[in-house]
Formats: sequence, C-alpha cells, structure tokens
Amino acid sequence: MSGYQDEKLPIPTPRRLKKEFLLPGLPSPAKRILAILAALALVPLVLIWHARVSYTTEPRIQLMQDMGVQPRYGPQAPSPVYADGRAMRLPVAGTVARETYAPDDHFDRGYRLVKDPKTGQWKVDFFTDLPPQVAMSHWTLNRGRTVFNIYCAVCHGLDARGDGMINQRATELQEPKWIPPANLTQIDPQTGQLQFGPQEYPDGKLFNTITHGIRNMPAYGPQIETADRWAVVAYVRALQLAQHATLDDVPSEQRGNLR
Amino acid sequence: MGRAAISSTNSQFVFPRWANYLLPGLLLALAVAVIYVPVVVGYGLAPQALAVGYRPIQPVPYSHALHAGELGIDCRYCHNTVDKAPFAALPPTQTCMNCHSMIKTDSPKLALVRQSYATGMPIHWIRVHDLAGYVYFNHAIHVNKGIGCVTCHGRVDKMDVVAQVKPLSMGWCLDCHRAPEKYLRPRDQVTNMTWDPVADAGKDQLTLGLELKRKYNIPDATFMTSCSTCHR
Repeated sequence: MSGYQDEKLPIPTPRRLKKEFLLPGLPSPAKRILAILAALALVPLVLIWHARVSYTTEPRIQLMQDMGVQPRYGPQAPSPVYADGRAMRLPVAGTVARETYAPDDHFDRGYRLVKDPKTGQWKVDFFTDLPPQVAMSHWTLNRGRTVFNIYCAVCHGLDARGDGMINQRATELQEPKWIPPANLTQIDPQTGQLQFGPQEYPDGKLFNTITHGIRNMPAYGPQIETADRWAVVAYVRALQLAQHATLDDVPSEQRGNLR
Repeated sequence: MGRAAISSTNSQFVFPRWANYLLPGLLLALAVAVIYVPVVVGYGLAPQALAVGYRPIQPVPYSHALHAGELGIDCRYCHNTVDKAPFAALPPTQTCMNCHSMIKTDSPKLALVRQSYATGMPIHWIRVHDLAGYVYFNHAIHVNKGIGCVTCHGRVDKMDVVAQVKPLSMGWCLDCHRAPEKYLRPRDQVTNMTWDPVADAGKDQLTLGLELKRKYNIPDATFMTSCSTCHR
C-alpha cells in the first residue's frame, strides 16, 4: 500500500494534516510524553497570567540587583541598628533647624510680649495685620484657599461654617469626645461682630491658634509652613467677608458675573 | 515482499514509519519555541508580572478608601511634603492623632497608633512604591508640574489596602517623559482622583497637555529623556 507518505514531497492538504494530527503510527508512550509536554508548557503561561491579575504580599522580584538594592537608607527608612527603628535620627535636644529658626515676633509667632509698666507683668499682644513678609495679594489668597481646603476644611468645612467631612463623620458615629469645630463665620450675638473676625480675634491670634491649636483643635504648625499659615489667615478673612456679603458688596460692574 | 521480512532476513536497521515525523516535528517544535520562549520571558519577567500587585499587609489597617475616598481628605493633609520635597513623607503619628484623639479613641485597630503616640516609637509602615536605588525621583517637581497622584499611584481612594498598580519601570517612566502632554493636568487638580480633561477642562487631553507643557515650562524630550535626568 503506497500512500502520500511515500511521496517524495507530500503536499499537506487539510485532509492529510487532519490525519497526521493524530500521529498515526507513533508508539503510544511517545504520544503520552508529547501530551504531557504540551500540558507542562501551559503551566508557565498560567502562572504568568496569575501573577498579573493577583495581589501579593511579597515584595517585587528584582532581577538585576546591581545597584538597584543599595546598602543605604532612604528617607524614613527603618533600621535595625537603632532601638527606635528609625534610620533618620532625631536632632539633639535644643537643636534649631535652619527653617525652624524663628526670630521674628510678627511673622513667626503673631504676637509679642509687652511688659505692663504698672504691674511689671508680661502680656501677650497679638498683631492685628499680616506680617510684611506676606503681602495681601491674589496669590496669597489663592495659596490660602489651597492650604485651607487641605488642612482646615476637613473639620471647618470649605465655607468655614464648621461642618466639614470629619465633623459629619464624628457626629454620625456619635463620638462622645467630639466637640464640633468652630463656625469661623459666626456672629457674636452680644457685639454683633464676627466672633472670629479681625476685631475680636486679631490676625496674630488666628495665626497662633493655627500654629499651636486651641482646646480640641490640634496644632497645625508642624504640618503647615509659616507663610502658608498666614495665607490661611488671609483666606479665612476672605471667607468671613464672603459668607456675610450682600449684593451691595459686589462692585456694580461685576454683578452681571454672579451666578 | 514486506518490510518485516527485510529486517528479519538482513540484520539491517530500518527506521519505523513514525520516524518520518521527527524532522517536521522538530521544525514544528522549533517554530512553537520561537513564539513560546519570548512570550514566557517577555511576559513573565515584565514588571507587570513581577512588581505590579504588591500589596503588603500594613501594621495598622488604615484604609485610604475611607479617609481619602469616603471622607475626601486631601492627599496632602498627611503626605504634606509631597509638593516641597523629593519624598512624599509618611505622616507622623501626631497627624493620625489630630482626629483620633477624639474619634474612635477605643478602637482596637488603632491600638498601635495610640501606643506609638504614647511612646514616641514610630509605626513601621511598609513601603509599597519602591524605585530601584539608582533612580533619582523627586515628587515635588512632578506634582508642581501637573502630574496627578492618580497617574502613578492609581485609584488610592478606592483601595482599602494600598497596592502598586503601575509597573514603575524605566519604560513606563519614559512613556511620560517622552510625551508628558499625555498625562499633564492643571496644578490645582493634582490630588483630584477623578479629574477628567474633557469633563473638567473642556478639552481633550493632548490639547490641554500641550498647553500646560508650555505654561509650566516643561523641557523638551531631549532633556526629559537624557540619562542624567533620572540617573544622577
């Protein structure tokens, strides 16, 4: 019996290929080995697919370790060398970092200490305006808005009325220790003035409160830079104006732009 | 005369008929290997397989989905050095206690935070996004030139546990360094997780990106892809 297999150059027609696909004539152990190999070849593909779609708690595998893993500590890296686990060391007590050197009463503290000539007692005298380092400008107000919206609005709300997301959450959870944040635009019923306005709560006092906190409000001095805290003071003044503004406060040529 | 007769009379070896498969079979195996090996090496050793999906278990079960997502706290409230320094600092325990001295004060999940606050020992957070040691990366320049947090870190506001979702590979960095306009957004939208060029700026990404690239003085691709820009 002579078939196409005996031809010198058999033409692979679909019919012949279909027949050949089942490997006629190949001993069955060989067929089994081929089938196992084909199945094994799928294993890496499945593993790769799994690695790509799943999460792992193991850090990444770095193939080329040369200089990729350097024996040095980065910022905030942990270190087994020190008892507190920090690679970054805390400054020696009493150290004044360049950026924390605060020589300026007005800019750095918002108040000065004045000696009462009669009693000889030191008294805190808050500044009532922005320091000369911070110009009241469009830029300052914009910066103040950015910083206020990041750090202050979480509690005081974007409109400074004291109902930010954290206040809403704490109220919802009925937290016993929660004291609602101040409404910075509140009018004092006794004086008819803004309770936290420039008359009753001078700029320097507001700055000092942001820096060191007050009652339940934590200190934001560590989180917000000095100039940015003054920008927040400026923006809070803008919010206090805006929340009690009437149509008369809008310049007549701008009234058409109101929505 | 049959073949069996030949092999039995002469002690001559005759290849069995299936031996005809050897050569075409070998060629076929080679052809498969030419595709198979690069696929396995390429896909298997790619950062998408090796690096993406790293999601370590943190010592405190802090949920970005709750704090950044549901409560909408800005990224910079905690990572407040991100626009000023190369490193987006992890907040000190003090920052946690800004709220948690009053909220959820008895929660067992926060025991380690309270302990850290009381003793001054830092919480050992596990770093998720870690670049190779020979890469110079500066968060401040990226954030200040209008690269959004979400572009490299994904939807952190939807992650209960933070995972790495981008490859952080050199090719991935260069994709943006060659054409930053594909990803630029206005500076004031950097921490916005859902910013969309068409919906929020009314322009398609490329038009807006090219405008911002000029506005923010972003250097051309020659500088942006120079070796020493990132390896210094």
